[in-house]
Amino acid sequence: MLEAAIKSGLVKELGEIVGSEFVSTSKADLYMYSQDMTYAEPSWPDIVVLPKSAEEVQAIIRLANKDKIPVTPYLGGGNIGGLTIPLEGGISLDLKRMNRIIEVNETDMYAIVECGVTLGDMKGYLDKNHPKLIYSYAFSPPSTGVVTNALVQGLATFAYRYGTTADWISGLEVILPEGDLVRIGSCAVSKGWQSLAPLPELAGLFVGWQGTTGIITKMAVNLWPRPKFAAGLIFYLMDLESSYEFLRAISRTRIPDDVTGDSYALREISRLSMEHKKGSLYPALILGPDEPEFRVSMDISANTENELKAKVKVVEEMIKGELKGVKLFVSHASPTAREADYQRDPMQQNSWDGKEVHPQVGDRQAFIPMQAVFVLSSGGGLYWVGTYGPMSNWLEAAKEGCALEDKYNITRSLYTRLHAEGHYVAQRWMLPYNKKDPEMVERVKALSLEISDMAFKYGYIPYKTPVWEIRRLEERASPEWLELHRKVKKMLDPNNILNPGRWGAPQK
Amino acid sequence: MILDDMEEWLYGCTHCGTCHDVQRIWVPSCPAGERFGFESYFAGGQVHIARGVHEEILSLADDDIRDRIYSCTGCLSCQLQCGIYHRDHIFEIVQALRREAVTQGFLNPAYMVMIDNLKRDDNVFGKSKSERGDWARDLRVKNAAQETVDVLYHAGCMLSLEPELWEVPRSVISIMQAAGVNVGIMGKEENCCGGRPYEIGYEGEFAKYAEHSIQTFTSIGVSKVITSCSDGYATFKNLYPQVNIKMKFEVLHVAEYLDQLINGGKIILTKEVPMKVTYHDPCHLGRHMGEAGVYDLPRDILNSISGIELVEMPRNRENSWCCGAGAGVSQSNPEFALWTANERLEEAKATGATAIVTSCPWCERNFKDAANEYGIDIEIYDIAQIAQKAI
Repeated sequence: MLEAAIKSGLVKELGEIVGSEFVSTSKADLYMYSQDMTYAEPSWPDIVVLPKSAEEVQAIIRLANKDKIPVTPYLGGGNIGGLTIPLEGGISLDLKRMNRIIEVNETDMYAIVECGVTLGDMKGYLDKNHPKLIYSYAFSPPSTGVVTNALVQGLATFAYRYGTTADWISGLEVILPEGDLVRIGSCAVSKGWQSLAPLPELAGLFVGWQGTTGIITKMAVNLWPRPKFAAGLIFYLMDLESSYEFLRAISRTRIPDDVTGDSYALREISRLSMEHKKGSLYPALILGPDEPEFRVSMDISANTENELKAKVKVVEEMIKGELKGVKLFVSHASPTAREADYQRDPMQQNSWDGKEVHPQVGDRQAFIPMQAVFVLSSGGGLYWVGTYGPMSNWLEAAKEGCALEDKYNITRSLYTRLHAEGHYVAQRWMLPYNKKDPEMVERVKALSLEISDMAFKYGYIPYKTPVWEIRRLEERASPEWLELHRKVKKMLDPNNILNPGRWGAPQK
Repeated sequence: MILDDMEEWLYGCTHCGTCHDVQRIWVPSCPAGERFGFESYFAGGQVHIARGVHEEILSLADDDIRDRIYSCTGCLSCQLQCGIYHRDHIFEIVQALRREAVTQGFLNPAYMVMIDNLKRDDNVFGKSKSERGDWARDLRVKNAAQETVDVLYHAGCMLSLEPELWEVPRSVISIMQAAGVNVGIMGKEENCCGGRPYEIGYEGEFAKYAEHSIQTFTSIGVSKVITSCSDGYATFKNLYPQVNIKMKFEVLHVAEYLDQLINGGKIILTKEVPMKVTYHDPCHLGRHMGEAGVYDLPRDILNSISGIELVEMPRNRENSWCCGAGAGVSQSNPEFALWTANERLEEAKATGATAIVTSCPWCERNFKDAANEYGIDIEIYDIAQIAQKAI
């Protein structure tokens, strides 16, 4: 907590920068920024500030740096890692007023956005003004930040093709911890924001650092042409071994835009949430012997109908050939029923009828996945162990993770997404819980810790890393890595003001 | 604590932020959040404040806490955007906080004045009760308290006591008389419906007016109560059942009743009204009514008038942006109420319409004030005024 006199002077100076109506020391506000949906320990900021421009951010950072006041950047707070909880108090810098989409370059296919632009903002703007271009959307609410999700290397609907959202950053504008403004990428030396190459790679000083090395005020991100033809394929696999074989084979086709999978046992909580009802993963939903273990969804797109059909044919032939031995659930539903509401009977969605693959035609790439509500419907709490790791260990990690969930009597809740054409894969164990139920909170804490240990064992590394996981990662890192990391943080942020206590600077 | 009864809903919100925007078109949904920016003003903030108060981390003695909970216009847009199980209870939570504040004795000065006005003159504006029927002084409309009528027209506080809006109830009576309806009014015997005190946390005042209104309407034997006020309509339809007195009369909004008269051939809209208009859906006629929201009928009336070109704003029907006057905000924070109305007028202007039509006097009043304050050149009408032009 800041001393009263310091706080009072700071509030006055911050008010002069952003306007007093955008500075708050009200408990009503501090409370909101002290916590998130995870079980991370609350920690209160002293002041909340809402800047409107890069110049205002610059002035705030200079002021904070002079007085060594911690500054924690904030946008939606929905990172599932406690990343915006101000561990050492100070200023919570809420960036939501910086929400301009500054430029969309139709030819070079990028958008320059301010740090407060959300996925919803982007979708609305592109649909209205540039309908031939699309962005890729995360499995998260529309209030998720375009910039923040990219900075924490989140995953989105083009993961299979291009990797994490950080992989489609093509330019940055950063306020450094001492207040300097710097541009990174082609925009540093030219008017274009089309790429980070071919310059020495400085974006890495900021990407993945959770706002501990600079405040990103603008970012350029790739856009893509809206596909003329698109379809979704959905398959149900009877066991994890089959799921692994299926995912591994599909990853080598280079055909889909996106490949995701999730535990079939999530169907019940998913159904309840879509009916706006509360759901719980506890006690575990036990599947029947004829029910599948896992669902895999694939989005494909094409320039022509024939190209789309040809891509579907490749998948079909793979199922009949290379994947002949995998245990796929066969749907006997009519084509109409296959298109029917997923919630009524999820398996009717199955594309595979034992003979042919039946795609669900529609533009699936350019929408915000509102089905995310099921992870938000258990009582205000959500934690997950989200990791990126090698495909080669997918099966072992999946089996052990499921066994751990069984041990804790928690419904199996694995979510997976192939990245960069199968070069790595996300495994995420999603654990929505009731914040009001202390027993459930403890159950989720203990389970997530065991899953995290298991994931490490198989090379699955947590992303959007909570602070306690950062410390555990550091214990596993080499001393040289750790030293380099600390040096980078110290070089950029000598007074350790930006989101202190996380990467590069443990809490005192 | 009143919030004890709401505990199940207090923990529904993860603070995911989905309520900030109108789904599918991704434009702002919450007036308070949009205006003030801090998370505490959005629906998620309100629910978390309730949680904080319930856990005794926050206190209603804190002026800032009460400022947040009284900044909600009760528009319910958040409830439509939210997908989680507590969605239908968000404004209930806000109202529970307001009731709790009143119970604990932490009173908002603006509302204390309103409640004093109600106690003295049975209206929220502090105007003499004797003025309440002045709008109809020369109309030769029956006094329902003294003469038998089939239909009672309830003008409500705003239309009764704001002379600038008197053309609205006068248009309604004129239309009804032209249609041969045996209509009457209560005049100076008309009272507040009780909706406004309910929304600001004075449940006792609400109950008093609800009981009185139901008993009065029943005793005079009317079959229908018609109102132009969407707030009043939602109060009659949604809140009055709470007092558990059988309502032996049907309540209709003017838009519904006009539609009945038009379809029944009682009135014929023959005159051309050459106007390009947009329609603003009042929150209390729309979202507050749930699946019974009245969205089509006002549009049907407008579309049935020759010369009217109806254009839609991006935020329409269930996703309508609030006018800003709801839930006591126009009394406690008039600057914010006008800001919200101005946002709507700007949206209306952007359609190319020269007039905005609505079905609630609170919306109309706030729009007129905002147009003056912000210098917006747009005409503002009630649906009955447009219908009257066509007869």
